[in-house]
Amino acid sequence: MTLEIDWTRCDGHGLCAALLPDRISRDEWGFPVLHGTKLPPDTAVRRAVAACPALALRLTRT
Amino acid sequence: MTTTMGRLAADPASATWTIGAARVLAGLDRNAVLDARTHLDTHGPLPAADLGRLLGLLDASGLTGRGGAGFPLAAKLRALRGQRPTVVVNGSESEPASVKDRVLLRRTPHLVLDGALAVAVALRGRRVTVAVHDAAAAAAVRTAAAQRPDGNRVRVELVSGGFVAGEARALVRALDGGPALPPGRREHATDHGVLLANAETFAQLAVLIRLGRHRFADTGTRTEPGTTLLTVGGAVGRPGVVELPLGTPLGIVLAAAQAGQPRLVVAGGYHGSWHPAVPAIELSRSGLAAAGGTLGAGVLLVLDDSTCALGELARVTAWLAAESAGQCGPCRFGLPALARDVQALCQGHPGAAEIALRHARAVDGRGACRHPDGTARFVTSALHLLQDETYLHLHHGGCGRPVLGLLPIGGRP
Repeated sequence: MTLEIDWTRCDGHGLCAALLPDRISRDEWGFPVLHGTKLPPDTAVRRAVAACPALALRLTRT
Repeated sequence: MTTTMGRLAADPASATWTIGAARVLAGLDRNAVLDARTHLDTHGPLPAADLGRLLGLLDASGLTGRGGAGFPLAAKLRALRGQRPTVVVNGSESEPASVKDRVLLRRTPHLVLDGALAVAVALRGRRVTVAVHDAAAAAAVRTAAAQRPDGNRVRVELVSGGFVAGEARALVRALDGGPALPPGRREHATDHGVLLANAETFAQLAVLIRLGRHRFADTGTRTEPGTTLLTVGGAVGRPGVVELPLGTPLGIVLAAAQAGQPRLVVAGGYHGSWHPAVPAIELSRSGLAAAGGTLGAGVLLVLDDSTCALGELARVTAWLAAESAGQCGPCRFGLPALARDVQALCQGHPGAAEIALRHARAVDGRGACRHPDGTARFVTSALHLLQDETYLHLHHGGCGRPVLGLLPIGGRP
Protein backbone atom coordinates (compact mmCIF):
# COMPACT_ATOMS: atom_id res chain seq x y z
CA MET A 1 0.00 0.00 0.00
CA THR A 2 1.08 3.57 -0.67
CA LEU A 3 0.49 6.44 1.71
CA GLU A 4 -0.46 9.66 -0.06
CA ILE A 5 -1.23 13.19 0.96
CA ASP A 6 -3.76 15.28 -0.93
CA TRP A 7 -1.94 18.59 -0.53
CA THR A 8 -5.01 20.57 -1.57
CA ARG A 9 -6.80 19.24 1.53
CA CYS A 10 -4.05 19.06 4.14
CA ASP A 11 -4.20 21.89 6.68
CA GLY A 12 -1.30 20.67 8.79
CA HIS A 13 -3.35 19.63 11.83
CA GLY A 14 -0.61 17.16 12.69
CA LEU A 15 -2.67 14.21 13.91
CA CYS A 16 -0.93 11.89 11.46
CA ALA A 17 2.49 12.81 12.80
CA ALA A 18 1.27 12.35 16.38
CA LEU A 19 -0.16 8.90 15.59
CA LEU A 20 2.72 7.72 13.38
CA PRO A 21 5.78 9.44 14.86
CA ASP A 22 8.14 6.89 13.28
CA ARG A 23 6.78 7.41 9.78
CA ILE A 24 5.67 11.04 9.65
CA SER A 25 7.31 14.21 10.95
CA ARG A 26 6.34 17.83 10.39
CA ASP A 27 8.10 20.58 8.48
CA GLU A 28 8.67 24.07 9.89
CA TRP A 29 5.19 25.11 8.76
CA GLY A 30 3.53 22.10 10.39
CA PHE A 31 2.88 20.07 7.25
CA PRO A 32 3.61 16.34 7.20
CA VAL A 33 6.85 14.88 5.86
CA LEU A 34 6.56 11.20 4.96
CA HIS A 35 9.52 8.93 5.61
CA GLY A 36 8.89 6.45 2.83
CA THR A 37 5.46 5.91 1.31
CA LYS A 38 5.38 2.15 0.78
CA LEU A 39 3.78 0.67 3.88
CA PRO A 40 2.23 -2.50 5.19
CA PRO A 41 -1.47 -1.73 5.83
CA ASP A 42 -1.19 -2.15 9.59
CA THR A 43 -3.69 -0.93 12.15
CA ALA A 44 -1.71 2.15 13.17
CA VAL A 45 -1.52 3.40 9.59
CA ARG A 46 -5.25 2.84 9.04
CA ARG A 47 -6.03 4.66 12.29
CA ALA A 48 -3.95 7.65 11.17
CA VAL A 49 -5.71 7.76 7.81
CA ALA A 50 -9.09 7.63 9.54
CA ALA A 51 -8.09 10.31 12.03
CA CYS A 52 -7.14 12.98 9.49
CA PRO A 53 -9.71 15.76 10.04
CA ALA A 54 -9.21 17.06 6.48
CA LEU A 55 -9.46 13.63 4.81
CA ALA A 56 -6.10 14.45 3.25
CA LEU A 57 -4.24 11.27 4.15
CA ARG A 58 -4.93 8.27 1.93
CA LEU A 59 -3.84 4.70 1.45
CA THR A 60 -3.88 3.53 -2.13
CA ARG A 61 -3.27 0.12 -3.59
CA THR A 62 -0.05 0.26 -5.63
CA MET B 1 28.03 44.71 -26.25
CA THR B 2 24.77 43.85 -27.92
CA THR B 3 22.06 43.95 -25.33
CA THR B 4 18.37 44.45 -25.50
CA MET B 5 15.98 44.45 -22.62
CA GLY B 6 14.02 41.25 -22.14
CA ARG B 7 10.81 42.81 -23.32
CA LEU B 8 10.16 40.55 -26.23
CA ALA B 9 6.85 39.54 -24.68
CA ALA B 10 5.57 43.03 -25.48
CA ASP B 11 5.05 42.00 -29.10
CA PRO B 12 4.60 38.29 -29.57
CA ALA B 13 3.93 38.77 -33.28
CA SER B 14 7.48 40.10 -33.54
CA ALA B 15 10.53 38.41 -34.94
CA THR B 16 10.58 34.78 -35.97
CA TRP B 17 13.72 33.27 -37.45
CA THR B 18 15.10 29.84 -38.12
CA ILE B 19 18.31 27.86 -38.04
CA GLY B 20 18.08 25.52 -41.00
CA ALA B 21 14.89 25.16 -43.02
CA ALA B 22 11.63 26.49 -41.59
CA ARG B 23 8.94 23.88 -41.00
CA VAL B 24 6.49 25.03 -38.35
CA LEU B 25 7.42 28.66 -39.05
CA ALA B 26 7.37 28.26 -42.85
CA GLY B 27 5.89 31.25 -44.62
CA LEU B 28 6.14 33.60 -41.64
CA ASP B 29 9.15 35.36 -43.17
CA ARG B 30 6.89 36.63 -45.97
CA ASN B 31 3.48 36.85 -44.31
CA ALA B 32 2.25 38.45 -41.10
CA VAL B 33 -0.52 35.83 -40.95
CA LEU B 34 -1.00 32.70 -43.05
CA ASP B 35 -4.67 32.67 -44.04
CA ALA B 36 -6.28 29.54 -45.48
CA ARG B 37 -4.92 30.23 -48.95
CA THR B 38 -1.34 31.18 -48.06
CA HIS B 39 -1.32 28.25 -45.64
CA LEU B 40 -2.16 25.84 -48.49
CA ASP B 41 0.32 27.55 -50.82
CA THR B 42 3.03 27.18 -48.17
CA HIS B 43 2.36 23.73 -46.75
CA GLY B 44 0.21 21.99 -49.36
CA PRO B 45 -2.91 19.95 -48.59
CA LEU B 46 -2.98 17.73 -45.49
CA PRO B 47 -2.96 14.02 -46.40
CA ALA B 48 -5.67 11.95 -44.74
CA ALA B 49 -4.42 9.88 -41.82
CA ASP B 50 -6.36 7.29 -39.84
CA LEU B 51 -5.43 6.33 -36.29
CA GLY B 52 -3.09 3.55 -37.42
CA ARG B 53 -1.15 5.89 -39.66
CA LEU B 54 -0.98 8.61 -36.98
CA LEU B 55 0.33 6.14 -34.41
CA GLY B 56 2.89 4.83 -36.91
CA LEU B 57 4.14 8.35 -37.58
CA LEU B 58 4.20 9.26 -33.89
CA ASP B 59 6.00 6.08 -32.86
CA ALA B 60 8.61 6.57 -35.57
CA SER B 61 9.24 10.21 -34.67
CA GLY B 62 8.77 9.96 -30.89
CA LEU B 63 6.94 13.30 -30.95
CA THR B 64 6.56 14.58 -27.41
CA GLY B 65 4.49 17.38 -25.94
CA ARG B 66 6.07 20.81 -26.30
CA GLY B 67 4.42 22.46 -23.31
CA GLY B 68 6.92 21.41 -20.67
CA ALA B 69 6.08 17.92 -19.45
CA GLY B 70 7.32 16.25 -22.66
CA PHE B 71 4.84 13.36 -22.63
CA PRO B 72 4.73 11.24 -25.82
CA LEU B 73 1.70 12.16 -27.95
CA ALA B 74 1.30 8.54 -29.13
CA ALA B 75 0.62 7.40 -25.54
CA LYS B 76 -2.19 9.95 -25.17
CA LEU B 77 -3.79 8.76 -28.43
CA ARG B 78 -3.60 5.12 -27.33
CA ALA B 79 -5.12 5.92 -23.93
CA LEU B 80 -8.13 7.49 -25.63
CA ARG B 81 -8.66 5.03 -28.47
CA GLY B 82 -12.37 4.27 -28.85
CA GLN B 83 -13.45 7.04 -26.45
CA ARG B 84 -14.26 9.81 -28.95
CA PRO B 85 -12.42 12.41 -26.85
CA THR B 86 -12.58 16.17 -27.02
CA VAL B 87 -9.29 17.43 -28.40
CA VAL B 88 -7.95 20.42 -26.48
CA VAL B 89 -5.22 22.70 -27.80
CA ASN B 90 -3.48 24.22 -24.79
CA GLY B 91 -2.51 27.67 -25.98
CA SER B 92 -2.56 29.27 -22.54
CA GLU B 93 1.23 29.64 -22.51
CA SER B 94 1.52 30.89 -18.96
CA GLU B 95 5.33 31.04 -18.99
CA PRO B 96 5.98 34.79 -18.95
CA ALA B 97 9.04 34.54 -21.20
CA SER B 98 7.41 32.25 -23.77
CA VAL B 99 5.59 33.56 -26.83
CA LYS B 100 6.04 30.66 -29.27
CA ASP B 101 2.54 29.23 -28.88
CA ARG B 102 0.91 32.62 -29.28
CA VAL B 103 3.02 33.27 -32.38
CA LEU B 104 1.71 30.00 -33.85
CA LEU B 105 -1.92 30.69 -32.93
CA ARG B 106 -1.84 34.28 -34.11
CA ARG B 107 0.23 33.90 -37.25
CA THR B 108 -0.12 30.31 -38.50
CA PRO B 109 -3.33 29.09 -36.85
CA HIS B 110 -4.21 26.68 -39.67
CA LEU B 111 -1.17 24.55 -38.99
CA VAL B 112 -2.22 24.09 -35.35
CA LEU B 113 -5.82 23.37 -36.43
CA ASP B 114 -4.60 20.86 -39.03
CA GLY B 115 -2.88 18.82 -36.31
CA ALA B 116 -5.72 19.08 -33.80
CA LEU B 117 -8.44 18.24 -36.34
CA ALA B 118 -6.40 15.29 -37.65
CA VAL B 119 -6.33 13.86 -34.12
CA ALA B 120 -10.05 14.53 -33.68
CA VAL B 121 -10.86 12.76 -36.97
CA ALA B 122 -8.60 9.78 -36.19
CA LEU B 123 -10.13 9.32 -32.71
CA ARG B 124 -13.66 10.14 -33.95
CA GLY B 125 -13.84 13.02 -31.52
CA ARG B 126 -16.52 15.59 -32.10
CA ARG B 127 -14.84 18.78 -31.12
CA VAL B 128 -11.58 20.66 -30.97
CA THR B 129 -11.35 23.23 -28.20
CA VAL B 130 -8.59 25.82 -28.42
CA ALA B 131 -7.93 27.30 -24.97
CA VAL B 132 -6.05 30.59 -24.90
CA HIS B 133 -5.28 33.31 -22.38
CA ASP B 134 -5.23 36.25 -24.79
CA ALA B 135 -7.86 37.85 -27.01
CA ALA B 136 -5.65 38.29 -30.08
CA ALA B 137 -4.91 34.57 -30.31
CA ALA B 138 -8.62 33.80 -29.78
CA ALA B 139 -9.58 36.14 -32.62
CA ALA B 140 -6.95 34.70 -34.96
CA VAL B 141 -8.11 31.12 -34.37
CA ARG B 142 -11.80 32.07 -34.82
CA THR B 143 -10.94 33.79 -38.10
CA ALA B 144 -8.99 30.76 -39.28
CA ALA B 145 -11.77 28.34 -38.30
CA ALA B 146 -14.27 30.38 -40.32
CA GLN B 147 -12.03 29.98 -43.40
CA ARG B 148 -12.07 26.18 -43.47
CA PRO B 149 -14.80 23.59 -44.16
CA ASP B 150 -14.04 21.61 -40.99
CA GLY B 151 -13.87 24.79 -38.88
CA ASN B 152 -17.37 24.26 -37.46
CA ARG B 153 -15.86 21.65 -35.12
CA VAL B 154 -13.55 24.22 -33.55
CA ARG B 155 -14.44 26.11 -30.37
CA VAL B 156 -12.25 28.82 -28.93
CA GLU B 157 -12.26 29.34 -25.17
CA LEU B 158 -10.70 32.40 -23.63
CA VAL B 159 -9.68 31.24 -20.16
CA SER B 160 -8.14 33.45 -17.51
CA GLY B 161 -5.68 32.72 -14.78
CA GLY B 162 -2.04 32.76 -13.83
CA PHE B 163 0.96 30.49 -14.12
CA VAL B 164 -0.53 27.27 -12.69
CA ALA B 165 -3.83 27.78 -14.56
CA GLY B 166 -2.01 26.69 -17.73
CA GLU B 167 -1.21 23.30 -16.20
CA ALA B 168 -3.04 20.62 -18.19
CA ARG B 169 -5.30 19.31 -15.43
CA ALA B 170 -6.11 22.82 -14.18
CA LEU B 171 -7.10 23.79 -17.71
CA VAL B 172 -9.36 20.73 -18.07
CA ARG B 173 -11.12 21.70 -14.82
CA ALA B 174 -11.56 25.29 -16.02
CA LEU B 175 -13.05 24.10 -19.33
CA ASP B 176 -15.49 21.95 -17.32
CA GLY B 177 -16.66 25.09 -15.50
CA GLY B 178 -14.58 24.44 -12.40
CA PRO B 179 -11.75 26.43 -10.83
CA ALA B 180 -8.53 26.81 -12.87
CA LEU B 181 -6.58 24.93 -10.20
CA PRO B 182 -4.67 21.65 -10.26
CA PRO B 183 -6.67 18.83 -8.61
CA GLY B 184 -5.40 17.15 -5.44
CA ARG B 185 -5.81 13.62 -6.72
CA ARG B 186 -3.46 12.05 -9.21
CA GLU B 187 -5.30 12.13 -12.49
CA HIS B 188 -4.61 12.99 -16.09
CA ALA B 189 -6.54 14.85 -18.75
CA THR B 190 -7.01 11.49 -20.48
CA ASP B 191 -8.99 10.28 -17.42
CA HIS B 192 -11.60 12.89 -18.35
CA GLY B 193 -11.87 11.79 -21.99
CA VAL B 194 -9.78 14.75 -23.07
CA LEU B 195 -6.80 14.66 -25.40
CA LEU B 196 -4.85 17.78 -24.44
CA ALA B 197 -1.58 18.93 -25.95
CA ASN B 198 0.28 22.15 -26.39
CA ALA B 199 -0.22 24.28 -29.54
CA GLU B 200 3.27 23.58 -30.92
CA THR B 201 2.73 19.83 -30.50
CA PHE B 202 -0.23 19.94 -32.90
CA ALA B 203 1.69 22.13 -35.36
CA GLN B 204 4.58 19.65 -35.31
CA LEU B 205 2.10 16.82 -35.91
CA ALA B 206 0.73 18.66 -38.97
CA VAL B 207 4.29 18.91 -40.31
CA LEU B 208 4.89 15.22 -39.57
CA ILE B 209 1.72 14.10 -41.41
CA ARG B 210 2.77 16.07 -44.49
CA LEU B 211 6.43 15.06 -44.51
CA GLY B 212 6.10 11.44 -43.47
CA ARG B 213 8.44 9.78 -41.01
CA HIS B 214 11.55 9.71 -43.23
CA ARG B 215 11.58 13.31 -44.40
CA PHE B 216 10.57 14.44 -40.90
CA ALA B 217 13.78 12.76 -39.65
CA ASP B 218 15.98 14.58 -42.19
CA THR B 219 16.83 17.00 -39.42
CA GLY B 220 17.27 16.74 -35.66
CA THR B 221 18.97 13.86 -33.88
CA ARG B 222 18.48 10.14 -34.32
CA THR B 223 16.48 9.77 -31.11
CA GLU B 224 14.80 13.17 -31.36
CA PRO B 225 14.09 13.91 -35.02
CA GLY B 226 12.68 17.19 -36.27
CA THR B 227 12.78 20.75 -35.05
CA THR B 228 11.70 22.61 -31.95
CA LEU B 229 10.63 26.15 -31.22
CA LEU B 230 12.43 28.24 -28.66
CA THR B 231 11.52 31.68 -27.41
CA VAL B 232 14.91 33.40 -27.16
CA GLY B 233 15.35 36.53 -25.07
CA GLY B 234 17.44 38.37 -22.53
CA ALA B 235 20.85 39.79 -23.49
CA VAL B 236 20.60 39.13 -27.21
CA GLY B 237 20.47 41.44 -30.20
CA ARG B 238 17.89 39.34 -31.98
CA PRO B 239 15.16 38.15 -29.61
CA GLY B 240 12.23 36.20 -30.97
CA VAL B 241 10.78 32.81 -31.69
CA VAL B 242 13.33 30.51 -33.29
CA GLU B 243 12.85 27.18 -35.05
CA LEU B 244 15.94 24.99 -34.92
CA PRO B 245 16.87 21.34 -35.46
CA LEU B 246 16.75 19.36 -32.22
CA GLY B 247 20.30 18.84 -31.02
CA THR B 248 21.62 22.21 -32.27
CA PRO B 249 24.53 23.29 -30.04
CA LEU B 250 23.79 26.23 -27.72
CA GLY B 251 26.76 28.14 -29.19
CA ILE B 252 25.15 28.22 -32.64
CA VAL B 253 21.92 29.63 -31.24
CA LEU B 254 23.74 32.21 -29.12
CA ALA B 255 25.73 33.41 -32.15
CA ALA B 256 22.64 33.52 -34.37
CA ALA B 257 20.73 35.42 -31.68
CA GLN B 258 23.59 37.94 -31.52
CA ALA B 259 24.38 37.36 -27.88
CA GLY B 260 27.42 39.61 -27.29
CA GLN B 261 29.05 38.14 -24.22
CA PRO B 262 26.72 35.45 -22.93
CA ARG B 263 27.64 34.17 -19.49
CA LEU B 264 24.56 32.31 -18.25
CA VAL B 265 21.43 30.87 -19.80
CA VAL B 266 18.07 30.00 -18.29
CA ALA B 267 16.70 27.03 -20.23
CA GLY B 268 13.16 25.67 -20.16
CA GLY B 269 11.46 28.64 -18.51
CA TYR B 270 10.89 29.36 -14.83
CA HIS B 271 10.43 25.70 -14.00
CA GLY B 272 13.68 25.10 -15.88
CA SER B 273 17.27 25.58 -14.88
CA TRP B 274 20.31 27.85 -15.02
CA HIS B 275 23.43 26.86 -16.94
CA PRO B 276 26.76 28.41 -17.81
CA ALA B 277 26.68 29.50 -21.47
CA VAL B 278 28.66 26.44 -22.60
CA PRO B 279 28.54 26.38 -26.44
CA ALA B 280 28.56 22.57 -26.60
CA ILE B 281 25.27 22.04 -24.71
CA GLU B 282 22.92 20.29 -27.15
CA LEU B 283 19.47 21.79 -27.34
CA SER B 284 17.38 18.65 -27.20
CA ARG B 285 15.56 16.87 -24.42
CA SER B 286 18.44 14.45 -23.89
CA GLY B 287 21.10 17.15 -24.37
CA LEU B 288 19.67 19.36 -21.67
CA ALA B 289 19.02 16.38 -19.43
CA ALA B 290 22.73 15.54 -19.74
CA ALA B 291 23.50 19.11 -18.65
CA GLY B 292 21.22 18.67 -15.64
CA GLY B 293 18.36 20.69 -17.08
CA THR B 294 15.27 20.48 -19.23
CA LEU B 295 14.01 21.85 -22.53
CA GLY B 296 10.78 22.44 -20.59
CA ALA B 297 8.53 25.03 -22.14
CA GLY B 298 11.02 25.93 -24.89
CA VAL B 299 12.48 29.12 -23.45
CA LEU B 300 16.10 30.26 -23.68
CA LEU B 301 17.03 33.42 -21.80
CA VAL B 302 20.56 34.80 -21.96
CA LEU B 303 22.32 36.79 -19.22
CA ASP B 304 25.56 38.72 -19.62
CA ASP B 305 27.58 40.86 -17.20
CA SER B 306 25.31 43.86 -17.62
CA THR B 307 22.88 42.69 -14.96
CA CYS B 308 22.98 41.38 -11.39
CA ALA B 309 22.18 37.68 -11.77
CA LEU B 310 21.21 37.30 -8.09
CA GLY B 311 18.84 40.24 -8.43
CA GLU B 312 17.31 38.65 -11.53
CA LEU B 313 16.89 35.41 -9.58
CA ALA B 314 15.25 37.26 -6.67
CA ARG B 315 12.72 38.97 -8.97
CA VAL B 316 11.69 35.72 -10.63
CA THR B 317 11.56 33.80 -7.34
CA ALA B 318 9.27 36.45 -5.83
CA TRP B 319 7.07 36.20 -8.93
CA LEU B 320 6.94 32.40 -8.72
CA ALA B 321 5.97 32.63 -5.03
CA ALA B 322 3.17 35.07 -5.89
CA GLU B 323 1.94 32.67 -8.59
CA SER B 324 1.35 29.86 -6.10
CA ALA B 325 -2.34 29.02 -6.15
CA GLY B 326 -2.12 28.75 -2.35
CA GLN B 327 -3.88 25.39 -2.29
CA CYS B 328 -1.03 23.35 -0.82
CA GLY B 329 0.69 24.26 2.44
CA PRO B 330 4.32 23.58 1.52
CA CYS B 331 3.98 25.73 -1.64
CA ARG B 332 1.93 28.45 0.04
CA PHE B 333 4.40 28.92 2.88
CA GLY B 334 7.58 27.51 1.36
CA LEU B 335 7.78 29.58 -1.83
CA PRO B 336 7.47 32.94 -0.05
CA ALA B 337 10.13 31.72 2.41
CA LEU B 338 12.35 30.80 -0.54
CA ALA B 339 11.77 34.21 -2.11
CA ARG B 340 12.74 35.92 1.17
CA ASP B 341 15.89 33.76 1.36
CA VAL B 342 17.02 34.79 -2.12
CA GLN B 343 16.29 38.43 -1.31
CA ALA B 344 18.35 38.08 1.88
CA LEU B 345 21.16 36.58 -0.18
CA CYS B 346 21.11 39.65 -2.43
CA GLN B 347 21.41 41.80 0.67
CA GLY B 348 24.46 39.84 1.81
CA HIS B 349 22.98 37.97 4.76
CA PRO B 350 25.36 35.17 5.82
CA GLY B 351 23.84 31.71 5.66
CA ALA B 352 21.00 32.74 3.36
CA ALA B 353 22.13 30.41 0.56
CA GLU B 354 22.07 27.37 2.86
CA ILE B 355 18.61 28.28 4.16
CA ALA B 356 17.36 28.78 0.59
CA LEU B 357 18.65 25.35 -0.44
CA ARG B 358 16.98 23.81 2.61
CA HIS B 359 13.66 25.47 1.78
CA ALA B 360 13.96 24.36 -1.86
CA ARG B 361 14.38 20.76 -0.69
CA ALA B 362 11.44 21.21 1.70
CA VAL B 363 8.97 22.14 -1.07
CA ASP B 364 10.19 19.70 -3.74
CA GLY B 365 7.51 17.16 -4.68
CA ARG B 366 5.06 18.37 -2.05
CA GLY B 367 2.15 19.82 -3.98
CA ALA B 368 -0.79 18.91 -6.20
CA CYS B 369 1.10 20.22 -9.24
CA ARG B 370 4.74 20.67 -10.19
CA HIS B 371 4.94 24.35 -9.29
CA PRO B 372 6.93 23.79 -6.08
CA ASP B 373 9.19 21.22 -7.79
CA GLY B 374 9.87 23.49 -10.76
CA THR B 375 10.53 26.50 -8.55
CA ALA B 376 12.91 24.47 -6.39
CA ARG B 377 14.84 23.32 -9.47
CA PHE B 378 15.04 26.86 -10.83
CA VAL B 379 16.40 28.33 -7.58
CA THR B 380 18.71 25.43 -6.72
CA SER B 381 20.36 25.38 -10.16
CA ALA B 382 20.92 29.15 -9.93
CA LEU B 383 22.42 29.04 -6.44
CA HIS B 384 24.90 26.34 -7.44
CA LEU B 385 25.97 28.47 -10.39
CA LEU B 386 26.07 31.90 -8.74
CA GLN B 387 28.69 31.28 -6.06
CA ASP B 388 30.95 34.13 -7.22
CA GLU B 389 28.03 36.54 -7.10
CA THR B 390 27.03 35.23 -3.69
CA TYR B 391 30.58 35.92 -2.43
CA LEU B 392 30.49 39.49 -3.79
CA HIS B 393 27.10 40.15 -2.20
CA LEU B 394 28.23 38.65 1.10
CA HIS B 395 31.62 40.36 1.42
CA HIS B 396 31.49 43.44 -0.80
CA GLY B 397 27.91 44.62 -0.43
CA GLY B 398 26.94 43.52 -3.93
CA CYS B 399 28.30 42.90 -7.41
CA GLY B 400 27.98 46.53 -8.48
CA ARG B 401 25.64 45.69 -11.35
CA PRO B 402 22.08 46.94 -11.67
CA VAL B 403 19.13 44.56 -11.91
CA LEU B 404 18.01 45.13 -15.50
CA GLY B 405 15.07 42.74 -15.53
CA LEU B 406 16.39 40.65 -18.43
CA LEU B 407 14.23 37.79 -17.14
CA PRO B 408 10.71 39.01 -17.89
CA ILE B 409 7.96 38.53 -15.33
CA GLY B 410 4.24 39.08 -15.72
CA GLY B 411 2.93 41.76 -18.03
CA ARG B 412 1.94 39.15 -20.57
CA PRO B 413 0.10 40.55 -23.57
